[in-house]
Amino acid sequence: MDFDFSPEEQEFFDEVEQWLVQNHDPVVMDPTRENFTQLADTPERRAFMKKLAGKGWLGMSWPKEYGGQEIEGVYEFILNEALSRHAAPQIGKGVGIIGKTLIRHGSDFLKAEFLPKILTAEVEFAVGYSEPEAGSDAANMQLKAEKVDGGWKLNGQKMWTTSAHFADWYWVGARTDPDLPKHDGISLFLIPMDHEGLEIQSLPTIGKDTTNQVFFTDVFVPDEYLVGKRGQGFQMISEALDLERFTLFTLSPISERTRVLIDWAKTATRDDKPIREDPDTRRLIANIVTDTAVAKALSTRFVCAAKAGGKPPTIQSSQYKLFTTTLSQRVCDEALDITGVAGTIREGQDEAPIRGRFEGAYRATMNETVGGGSSEIQKNIIARRHLGLPKNF
Amino acid sequence: MDLEFTEEQQMIKDMTRALLDEHCPIEVVREMEDDPKGYPVGLWKQMAEAGLVGILIPERHGGGGLGLLEAALVYEELGRAMAPTPHFVSAVLGPGILLEAGSDAQQEAWLPKIVAGDAILTPAWLEPDRGFGPEGVALAAKKEGDDYLLSGVKRHVNYASSADRLLVLARSDDGIELLMVDPSSEGVTLKQICSQSGEAHYRVELRDVRVPANARIGAAGTGWDTFGKVLHDGLVLQAAQAIGGADRCLENTVEYAKVRKQFDKPLGAFQALAHYMADASTHIDGGRALVHEAAWNRARGRSITRFAPMAKLFACNTYQDVTRACAQIWGGVAFTIEYDTQMYFRRAKEMQLSWWDTPYLEELVAADVLDS
Repeated sequence: MDFDFSPEEQEFFDEVEQWLVQNHDPVVMDPTRENFTQLADTPERRAFMKKLAGKGWLGMSWPKEYGGQEIEGVYEFILNEALSRHAAPQIGKGVGIIGKTLIRHGSDFLKAEFLPKILTAEVEFAVGYSEPEAGSDAANMQLKAEKVDGGWKLNGQKMWTTSAHFADWYWVGARTDPDLPKHDGISLFLIPMDHEGLEIQSLPTIGKDTTNQVFFTDVFVPDEYLVGKRGQGFQMISEALDLERFTLFTLSPISERTRVLIDWAKTATRDDKPIREDPDTRRLIANIVTDTAVAKALSTRFVCAAKAGGKPPTIQSSQYKLFTTTLSQRVCDEALDITGVAGTIREGQDEAPIRGRFEGAYRATMNETVGGGSSEIQKNIIARRHLGLPKNF
Repeated sequence: MDLEFTEEQQMIKDMTRALLDEHCPIEVVREMEDDPKGYPVGLWKQMAEAGLVGILIPERHGGGGLGLLEAALVYEELGRAMAPTPHFVSAVLGPGILLEAGSDAQQEAWLPKIVAGDAILTPAWLEPDRGFGPEGVALAAKKEGDDYLLSGVKRHVNYASSADRLLVLARSDDGIELLMVDPSSEGVTLKQICSQSGEAHYRVELRDVRVPANARIGAAGTGWDTFGKVLHDGLVLQAAQAIGGADRCLENTVEYAKVRKQFDKPLGAFQALAHYMADASTHIDGGRALVHEAAWNRARGRSITRFAPMAKLFACNTYQDVTRACAQIWGGVAFTIEYDTQMYFRRAKEMQLSWWDTPYLEELVAADVLDS
């Protein structure tokens, strides 16, 4: 048993940390954007991703023949935790689910077109799985893909495409075979985001940023932009999620918020008395710190399960996601309890404790127990795959 | 990073489980509840022969010389089996105190006997209407010549009726002392007090009990430091025990939920119940990893000032939450003596209140985080 990184991993951890400190840029690294910091959605943030690419840190776990280094996924875990700790954009969809799916299932044509650009951070993707009638029931997607001469014609709607307004390419699941069982009738496509048949409508959120819905009107996609085999879309989506547990949800933003809260509580006063002497504050902080340690231990579990190879660490990562997202919201909630009524002052104002960091984070984290597989979906996975309980829906 | 057990660790775990399966079935656990002795001598002998009693005691005293991580694996099994044994007081705290502060003579006199299962030590710490901190220790130790005269009342003294020596925390002019007291000495009265879990607990009254100065463990006034330090190791093992109990209770419940039907479906096919079990397993697996991390850090020689209270805080809260959820899944039968769920349920609450309770542990963590 060993809870430390190996010397090589630790060396990489230190190297990344040092590089991020040296390359600190408040325009790129804005912690008040909370979970949206992961997006490379501005020119400055895209330039930052190119610098990361220059370090050789994109696609580290990819096979060498595609420009990777074939090193363990744990290095991508270390990198993404560091990036999110510094509120920098993260390596994500490109080197993760999209790159890895193309490597396993993509045609030579698609590999040649996209893989090199992913490694040099020249392409940003948006992912379109969810729809109005396909939320947790992702396999129920209805976006229609009709076979036409030389390609496919897509009509319908996607929901929650966070990156639609800045991405270059759209990774989309659509129903190519409506007569087959719902899991077998889906195929994956790549579509340029500026396609004239796509209409992007912004959906403002209660966080600082927006997400989008996207409408498809006769969107023609040439045959060569269908990914892998027709009808294998849902299997590839599921496989990619299993392959890509390392970068899906990072713990560092929560640990960082906890650190910010503790630093504040150490010096703040109320009625001329230190807040840290307040018994309720002490209780809340003790439990936040304890549960954050548990979240880290759960993260260690899935990293180790992934390192061990064999089965993907689906159970461990579901447990981690379930526990950590719940904790994330609780930290914000209890931080506001500790700051008291001043916690209501909107984020960004000097009047607010910690400039309203937790007022903003309270709003921004609301969706964490829903996005990326809701808590209930995680519990179903744990109940069936870990405990062997019968199907319950 | 790697969470695999070594071959030796896996062997210790398997051996402990097999031993407890054979010598500590649920009937034995039930039989020992409220028993004045509180543990089967046969089981204790078996554990001693298997090297489990001496697991933390150095080889030079006849023990196994293993670390807190190996002991944590044993404790998870003790928790699963709800094994009634004086292991925590006599094989962890007692030897821990002697090894931390005892003289060579004290160590040589007691450690080999403890390892062999021939001697039982137990701390006498808590007092009626007094708390968990050093200020809770009020039992008077009056210096009289070379002796101490002890007067006062202790409570929650585990397995006192079998103890060869009580390790009494007492207040002298120098501070808090740890003194070895023979419970058959004149002026010592034991009275069994039945506890929620049914573990053998005693009220111990000391009235002008005379002990020589060489019965003191460590320098004058250092008793609390010694006890606190050893109890930090103990917290990790209490946490492991709680995780073991929660794990077994959940395991039993999951099996039941697969076969018990209502509305023509197994209970486990109802999300309301399946989700309780998914939550429970997440907390158990997270708690277990935290316990292992705490034990591993200790074995590495790192401080566990924060890890140890965190581990017990989370594990004992988990044990309580899990047994309550399990009782809900079992339904009405969980309320009956006949079914085992109530046994875990009672132990969970007792463990959460014992050996530093939730508020005390929270304060230890808070102090480490906020006051440094």
